Amino acid sequence: MEALALHGVDIIFGYPGGVVLPLYDEMTRWPAIQHVLVRHEQCAAHMADGYARSTGKVGVCLATSGPGATNLVTGIATAIMDSIPMVAITGQVNSWAVGTDAFQETDIQGITIPITKHNYLVMDVDDLPHALVEAFHLANTGRKGPVLVDIPKDVFTAMSSVPFPTEIVRRGYRAAAATNDTAIETAAKLVAEAKKPVIIAGAGVVWSETHQALADLAAKADLPIINSLLGLGSIDRQNERSLGMMGMHGEAVGTLAVQEADLLIGIGIRFDDRLTGKVAGFAPNAKIIHFDLDPSEFAKVVETTLCVPGDLSETLPAFTAAVAPKVNDEWWAKLRGWQEEFPLVIPDSAGLMARHVLQLLDRTTNSDAIISTDVGQHQMWTAQLYRFKRPFQWLSSGGLGTMGFGFPAAMGAAFANPKQEVWAVVGDGGFQMTLQELQTAVEHKLNVKICLVNNGYLGMVRQWQELFFENRYSHVAMGSPDYGKLAEAYGVTFFRCSTREDLESTFQQARAADGPVLVEFLVEMEENVFPMVPAGKANDQVQMDPGLPNDKAPMGIPA
Amino acid sequence: MRHTQEHTVTALVHNEHGTLNRMISLFRRRGFSLSSLAVGDCEEPGLSRMSIVVNADDNMLRQCVMQLEKAVDVVSVESLDGKEYVHRELAFIQVEAPPEKRSEIIDISRVLNCEIVHLGLKTMTVQVVANARKIQGLIRLLEPYGIKKIVRSGTVAMSAEE
Repeated sequence: MEALALHGVDIIFGYPGGVVLPLYDEMTRWPAIQHVLVRHEQCAAHMADGYARSTGKVGVCLATSGPGATNLVTGIATAIMDSIPMVAITGQVNSWAVGTDAFQETDIQGITIPITKHNYLVMDVDDLPHALVEAFHLANTGRKGPVLVDIPKDVFTAMSSVPFPTEIVRRGYRAAAATNDTAIETAAKLVAEAKKPVIIAGAGVVWSETHQALADLAAKADLPIINSLLGLGSIDRQNERSLGMMGMHGEAVGTLAVQEADLLIGIGIRFDDRLTGKVAGFAPNAKIIHFDLDPSEFAKVVETTLCVPGDLSETLPAFTAAVAPKVNDEWWAKLRGWQEEFPLVIPDSAGLMARHVLQLLDRTTNSDAIISTDVGQHQMWTAQLYRFKRPFQWLSSGGLGTMGFGFPAAMGAAFANPKQEVWAVVGDGGFQMTLQELQTAVEHKLNVKICLVNNGYLGMVRQWQELFFENRYSHVAMGSPDYGKLAEAYGVTFFRCSTREDLESTFQQARAADGPVLVEFLVEMEENVFPMVPAGKANDQVQMDPGLPNDKAPMGIPA
Repeated sequence: MRHTQEHTVTALVHNEHGTLNRMISLFRRRGFSLSSLAVGDCEEPGLSRMSIVVNADDNMLRQCVMQLEKAVDVVSVESLDGKEYVHRELAFIQVEAPPEKRSEIIDISRVLNCEIVHLGLKTMTVQVVANARKIQGLIRLLEPYGIKKIVRSGTVAMSAEE
């Protein structure tokens, strides 16, 4: 507990059990650290994750040995894929019983090796102060990530006179690659030569809090900025140079721009396959510059013309200073043309569609709420339609694609930001994975609002079955309980909306209500997300929205 | 399929709970093909030095070195490709050796600078310290006599003085 206090931890998300009893006992003497009792350990990890994604600080979760620890696994794997700073503390059986298959023993260190930045099994209490301090240091420096500390029961109760280290120096640990001035100068030259430059900005910009430097850079060299899914918020979506998200379901303009660009500047991104599509067809005409603090990302996926190593907080301002002012009027004319030709489609249908809901969520909250999502169609529509303004406003499981993440992550954000409006956008599939946390939310009168987009299907899977498996719907129709009764049982404020007419008033009432609010939107069942680059296809195979108002070719890029 | 070949890399690592497990996990997870791995204490207490032989194309080798460098356990990594370095492996080869065959096997061993480390009623054990190719050659020479058992240490390697 002292280590937690030392690191300014004000809240931990956990679940007690046999071997962590000594820690829970000690907790009663540390009133400054709030403990949130979850209903399932997976959600403790997701809440710690949501806390981290909405504050930029380390999230902490706690579980007992055995099943408590294994229940954290999905949450830890979610965090490592998106480089989220998290410390997970698990109890372990007594040190002398480790290795004997004792009751509730599991090798959580072994299990989490591939999904942690680092982990510890602390067998000697004298090693504990160092391990805990180092865990926070590793989680929160360089490329961030989850660190797990497994502590046997007798180590919890043992006393140690070893003080907490005030500084961590770990040989061979480089938080960020060293910067390279020549690379920055070369990059600036490439920008000066380029006629069709684009930036793809990712979560690295968010976590290094270099969004201002990014905006300055774009303004100075007149560069369009595309975001990766997790890069949303690194530039205000309403900034004139923001082109929104690209990728499998990114806006057409971004995909087309990258296809035609002669210079692509990737900043704090890892060229995920959902962004690049088939790598051979990615940015075929572009020289690629890659800014990242983690050199193992260089040339991992795409061949790169120039790598710019180093922490973005150093390299981006230096790059901004090095580029010469320029304008790219011709290029922008083309980009604006694509924006006009291939906008996101909001159908003017009689029935309520998910896109109506999510567009109004953006408008009614003035694009200012903290938004989390689960995974699937609603996630993509939110990413397309919500106009994020700032870093740490957008919480979504991008890498692992974890269903059930949205609601507990929003709760973690709501605990961390009690004065802000927090919405979890979830589908009927994902919500049913973690809805037991409604009870936790009620107990804390937590101001978290759930936008449940219910289409009666696992919508994204259904979409794939429609498009790629000839409409053979296999196990995607998803029944739901009566959410009104469910909300009543938990004591959660509930609204239901099934028409476009009621949409605005429903949002108004939901926003005005205190405490946890569940809003169910019954939407069109078979709505599809477009644009779409089919999996494994190159980005020039993008399928445009068949609902585009004009009769532009719905499939493929027009010649 | 890109051209792969064996590359030797050494890594200085912290000797902590789970280090070896983490290293092996990294190789398995990223699909790096390990030909040989040898670990032991080194000149500094608390650290170990690993000699790794990985079968990879150039890009995979680069990734392998990068991923090793990134691991929190690893202090430093040295790729020995294109450098001057020494490398050896130790192997014991237990071969069937009835009395009438003993002198032949001893001759072979002597020519190849090997040592007979055990002589039994029916078998002999030959110790060889050499590079992997030479060990393979010795095994081929001893095969006609009937090999009972082979144990190999894996390659240890060190770059030459800089």
